[in-house]
Amino acid sequence: MARDPGLDRRRFLKLMAGLPLVGGLLAVGSPLLRYLKPNVDPFAIITPTARDVVTGEPVVAATVADLDQPWAFRYFVFTQRYPQYTPEGFKTQAVPGVVIRLPHKIRLPWAWVPAMGETLEFTESEVIAFSRICPHLGCIYNYVPEWREVTSGYGGYTPPPERRHALMACPCHLSIYDPADPEMPGRVLSGPAPRPPRTFFYQIRDGQILIRFVEPGGIA
Amino acid sequence: MGTLLANLQEWYRDRRAKLDLFDETTVGQQANPLYLLGPMLYFFWIVTVASGIILMFWYEPTPEGAYNSILRIQHEIPLGWLWRGIHKYAADGLILAIILRIYRMYFLGEYKKPGELTWIWAFVGLILAMISGITGYLLIWNQRAFWAAKTVLTVPVFFDELTAKIPIIGEQFQIGSMIAYLFLGGPAVGAATLTRFYALHFGISIVLLILAEVFFFRTRRRRLNMSLAPILLFTAMLVITSYVLPAELGRRADPTRTPLPILSDWYFLALYQYVKYTPPLWAGLGPGLLIGFGMLIPFLDRTRGRRPTERPFFFVVGVLALVYFLVFTALIMFNIAVIEREPPLVLLTTVLVLSAGLAWELRYRRRQAQAAAAEPPRRPAGAGAHG
Repeated sequence: MARDPGLDRRRFLKLMAGLPLVGGLLAVGSPLLRYLKPNVDPFAIITPTARDVVTGEPVVAATVADLDQPWAFRYFVFTQRYPQYTPEGFKTQAVPGVVIRLPHKIRLPWAWVPAMGETLEFTESEVIAFSRICPHLGCIYNYVPEWREVTSGYGGYTPPPERRHALMACPCHLSIYDPADPEMPGRVLSGPAPRPPRTFFYQIRDGQILIRFVEPGGIA
Repeated sequence: MGTLLANLQEWYRDRRAKLDLFDETTVGQQANPLYLLGPMLYFFWIVTVASGIILMFWYEPTPEGAYNSILRIQHEIPLGWLWRGIHKYAADGLILAIILRIYRMYFLGEYKKPGELTWIWAFVGLILAMISGITGYLLIWNQRAFWAAKTVLTVPVFFDELTAKIPIIGEQFQIGSMIAYLFLGGPAVGAATLTRFYALHFGISIVLLILAEVFFFRTRRRRLNMSLAPILLFTAMLVITSYVLPAELGRRADPTRTPLPILSDWYFLALYQYVKYTPPLWAGLGPGLLIGFGMLIPFLDRTRGRRPTERPFFFVVGVLALVYFLVFTALIMFNIAVIEREPPLVLLTTVLVLSAGLAWELRYRRRQAQAAAAEPPRRPAGAGAHG
């Protein structure tokens, strides 16, 4: 059968009709998306979350003197402003945190801090501050000073002998974390969590532990 | 290409003509309770929508006002407790009817030709009912609601792990987070979440109601294929349950404290236990694949028989799904989850049971083939060769 030149023309015309269709979809899709999510820049469909940046206020979590004993801890609340698609445009919400004095120095997991425009004054410390928002699905986990309580109340996990100290445990899906793990502070011992809890960047000022900001990510 | 399209249209037109959304074509008198499930579904749905609209008169969709307005509905407004109870228990009845109806359709092979489209709609109905459920119970703004909304919408954030693998644009193209933010109205649960959930909760039912009405108008079928006695019985059940067991209020949402233990609504419990077992990416992918598999069952199961014993493998799959649903629900209610021990056990059980099902299927088919070979051919040679 001989090649039919009309088919090629038809295909060409279809292609030419298709291009404006894609453009039209983009032209309609972008405003539709912006109706639902007004902080997407026009036609910036490939960077939809670029403007959902969270900002926080520095807060004093505890004084160094408060944490004089190993395993001493203080809960604190760090306030952040979240973009919100309401007439106010933002929402302030508390990020619960826990600052813990460990029995030994560890290397702080602060590789993310330089990207936030801060320089590290120290990289090792006995004091570490965790965000209590579980990195799994966002529940608030607890600092459990007595490990037996983890076994009885959080799904029956029994830690190995060298980890029988204070642990952190989430009531929702039973992830268990070890705050004092020397290689990876907050290591996941059990449960579905994909990573250790996020940490706070803090500085020591006049004997006070000043919380500056939290590692970004997750839902609050 | 043209014939394929025509065939597809033909297929669709045929299935649409045989569509049976609420068992309205099955039996005139609903003597068999299995076929009462469809009308029950429609009845509980209409009751849920009607009582929900009555509740909207008093409900206030703001984080400050939501819980207080529910308190007022429950305790101060005359008959408020009744409308709220009916809304809650009719919604439970609706979900129960959908689930039982899906199992009935599965085990009786009703998804086979020409029931494919009916099956798909039953599944779509279940998913939308569950979305209505979860968007609905956030509206109370109690602890369970708040943490359910937060955990459910953290699940899509992990899809960013997949989109991050796209070269060049992947890092910025956080489509998982975007989905979560669209529903939440920002990166946190707040006022915008409440209005968005409120709109979805109401919108899903209204859109489906209009579609169902169009369906009934065009097919001229009876809307509620149920006699008066069961209608009165179910209404009485709703009223009595609302009185004896008032719909729960729970504690006011506290974003800084997750209660231990915390449970979701009953139809999410099995899923909740599953989420404990798997990495969070699979918490989203797993149910998605299961739903996809469920919807495609009519096209995967090519066996001819409708009775469960005539298609052993799919029968085993169905029983396994039912058993897992019940066992996971029981496990989470007793707060048992030893995460080191159970996931490999569950995986092993699944593989073993599915292999057994496959073996049964193969044995059954061999027997069938042997029986067919032993039987002398009835039809003249040539005509039965493809049989």
